[in-house]
Formats: sequence, C-alpha cells, structure tokens
Amino acid sequence: MGTIDISYTSLAIGLLLLLIPLFYLWKFKTGLLWVTVIGIARMIVQLFFIGIYLKYLFLWNNPWINFLWVIIMIFVAAQTALARTQLKRKILFIPISIGFLCSVVCIGMYFIAIVLRLENVFSAQYFIPIFGILMGNMLSSNVVALNAYYSGLKREQQLYRYLLGNGATRAEAQAPFIKQAIIKSFSPLIANIAVMGLVALPGTMIGQILGGSSPNVAIKYQMMIMVITFTASMLSLMITISLASRKSFDSNGKLLQVMVEKKEKKKSR
Amino acid sequence: MGTKTILQIDNACIAFGADTLFSGFCLQLHEGEIACISGQSGRGKTSLLNAILGFVPLKAGSITVNGILLKKGTIDQIRRQVAWIPQELALPSEWVKEMVQLPFNLKANRNTPFSLDKLFACFDELGLEEELYDKRVNEISGGQRQRIMIAVATLMQKPLLIVDEPTSALDSDSTDRVLAFFRKRMREGSAILAVSHDQGFAQGCNQMITL
Repeated sequence: MGTIDISYTSLAIGLLLLLIPLFYLWKFKTGLLWVTVIGIARMIVQLFFIGIYLKYLFLWNNPWINFLWVIIMIFVAAQTALARTQLKRKILFIPISIGFLCSVVCIGMYFIAIVLRLENVFSAQYFIPIFGILMGNMLSSNVVALNAYYSGLKREQQLYRYLLGNGATRAEAQAPFIKQAIIKSFSPLIANIAVMGLVALPGTMIGQILGGSSPNVAIKYQMMIMVITFTASMLSLMITISLASRKSFDSNGKLLQVMVEKKEKKKSR
Repeated sequence: MGTKTILQIDNACIAFGADTLFSGFCLQLHEGEIACISGQSGRGKTSLLNAILGFVPLKAGSITVNGILLKKGTIDQIRRQVAWIPQELALPSEWVKEMVQLPFNLKANRNTPFSLDKLFACFDELGLEEELYDKRVNEISGGQRQRIMIAVATLMQKPLLIVDEPTSALDSDSTDRVLAFFRKRMREGSAILAVSHDQGFAQGCNQMITL
C-alpha cells in the first residue's frame, strides 16, 4: 500500500483552507495577517526546495554527500541558534556546532547501526530523516535552554557570586542555572512523551501509517524517535553549555557580555 | 587573641579605568579578631571585599588569606577559606530551608555538614524563632533574612567570615545580638571582616578602619 500523491491542483485546493484562519486574523485586526501570509509563502518555497534536494540525496545515496549534508545542516542550525538566542558568535558558534555534531553522530548512529542494524548505515532513506529529526529537536530545545540559562545568569548574578564566594566550583555555581534551563526546555517534551498516543497521534507514526507501514511497526519507530530526540537534545545541550560556559566568564568568575549589543546588531544589518 | 594571620592586605589599590577608588590600603586580621571597614559610599568598601574574593582584580598590592596569596590560580582555593554574605543578599530560593542549605550542598563545605540543631542554637543567640526555618522567604523580614544568613555563614566554620552591611536592616537590640554572636565566634577562632555604616556596630569591633 503506497501513499496517494497530491496533485498540484489538489494541493492548491487544499491550501484554500487557509482562507478561514486568514479571514479571522484580518477580521480581528490581529496584525498577524501579513506575517502569516509571508510565513506560509516561505514554508511552501522552502518545502519545495527541500523536496528537490532530498530527491537528489536519495537518488545519489552517497555517504560522503549525506555526511556533507549533515555538516551543512549543523552550520545552518548553529546560525539559527545564534539568531534566536542573540548570543555572540564567539561564545556560541563552535560550542553548539560541536554539541550538535557529537550528539547527532553518536545518537543517530546508535539508532541506525545498533538498534536498526542497517548494513549501510549511510543509507539516505534512514540517515537523512533520522539525522534531520534529531537536528530539528536539538535546535529548538537548545535555543529555549540557552535563553533560559543566560537570562538566569544575568538576572540572578547574586546567586552565582554567592555560591562562588562561598567555595563553589564553577560547575557548582552554574548548576542551578543549568537546572532551570533543563526544566524550561524539556518540560514540554516530557509532557508530550507522557500523553503520546492519548491526546494526539505523533507525526512520525502518522507519516509511517500514511506511507503504508503497519501500526505495529509505526509505534516502535515512534518510541525510538522520542527516545533518540530526547537523548540527543539533552546530550547536545550539555556539550553546548559546558563548552560555551568556558568562554562566558572571565578568570574572576564574572559573566562576560555574552549577548550581541544593539550597536553591533545595527552594524551587522 | 590568636596570633595566626588570617587576612593580610598590603598596599592594595583598586581602580576601574582611570578612576582609582583607593590605593596603599593595608590590613592585618588575626584569628579571633573582627575588623570593620566604614566610610562614605563609593569609596570602594564593597569592592575591597570583592577583591578579597577574587571578583575584582587589584591594580596594585597583594592579598593573602590564611597563608594563600591571591592570584589567578588560587582564587578557588581562597574562596574555600571564606564564608561570605554580600550586601542585601536576596537569593531566588522560595523557602528559607532551601536558602539556608544552599552553601552546604557545595563540595567545599561537605566537611561541615548542615546541622539543624546548630542552626537553631544560632537562631536562639540571634533572637530568631525556629519557625522561620519552615517559612517562605517572602514571609520573613529583611532583618530576619540578614540574621539567618549570618547564622548560615558561621555554621560553615571557615577561617574568614566576610560580611557586607550585616546590620543595615537591624534595630539596635538586634545589632547588639549580632555583635555578641560575632564575639562568641571570634573566641572560637574565626576572623571576621565587616563593612558597615553602623557606628554602633563598628565601635564593637577590634579594628575600625575608615576608607
């Protein structure tokens, strides 16, 4: 049983549904109408491009090209994280790139090579979607966590100093802030795990069922996807925070200016 | 009075850019002594305490704590010799018990485990009720919080206790209690360095230094 294709005419008919939310956005003068229209246009263009390059990645199915894609995605993700956290490039870029690379390779390969036991671990059919889903989840959890971590350090500098001044190691003084970052970043994911299959059917499962897999196979993949995204997100966050923290404090333990200042932002525009 | 020097400051100078807060500052504090630094605002009293803790670099001079010379590589070692209460300390803990136990969870303080009995004995000396321990931080007054943190700092049994404005939220009776409490700790061998605008408190100390 294969998936039924959607013709471009049918796709256009499907997109007409958007007129309903767009109407209400306009009627209640939310100011979100054009943002939504632009967002949808971007989504359509981006997904068409992804469709094209994924088509060729699957066609070539070359380990080197697949790995090059991972490297490019890591740099794109690191760049996106910089934009969303407003942290300085010299503080975050290398730590988050290393965090993403190590986590995606370790956890992705563990799943593909040890759990799935694929002969060709670089097979594009598995390698690309698995690494892609890991990257997307790592990016969103890292952005939330890093924002919470650095805003906490800025807001509660007295706590950080109090701990250091009373004999804490750097790691001990940073621990309460890492704790808050983890809570903020992972609470939604943990809540999502707890209600999986009850409140909503997860995307991976739906995708597999639409693609013709049996529900039995789909649930096992869904479980593993939750496990690997959770693990990779946590691992990448720990690596990123641990490396970024080394560049975030001076030798006296004082938090440096880690955010891009407004003047710098203007210059870079 | 003990003879061991706990804190030695020689010709210290602190400057932020071209603005020199003070220079040529010297201080020697022995075991069992309490020194109080006073002076007008902006003279660098808190900066001096921050310099001892390695948060502010000295432009010139040297600081030695319990025989350890303060330099980049010894900052952590020095901080392990010190119990410190910053000015207007407001930790983000929700409960008093969390705030009290915070420093005892650090590796550096594991050889002096937290004791509720000892804490309540300190509470008694400082005129605090035991029930405060189970309250939320926002349910206690600034003066109660100040005295609770004084009790916590002394329980860590460090060679040097540094307190910034320990009596700023206290009335004269409570100030006397704090002084009596400090004197008892001095007899047990602690050295205490305080910064205070409170003349009543300053006059009860061994050394009064005006910056």
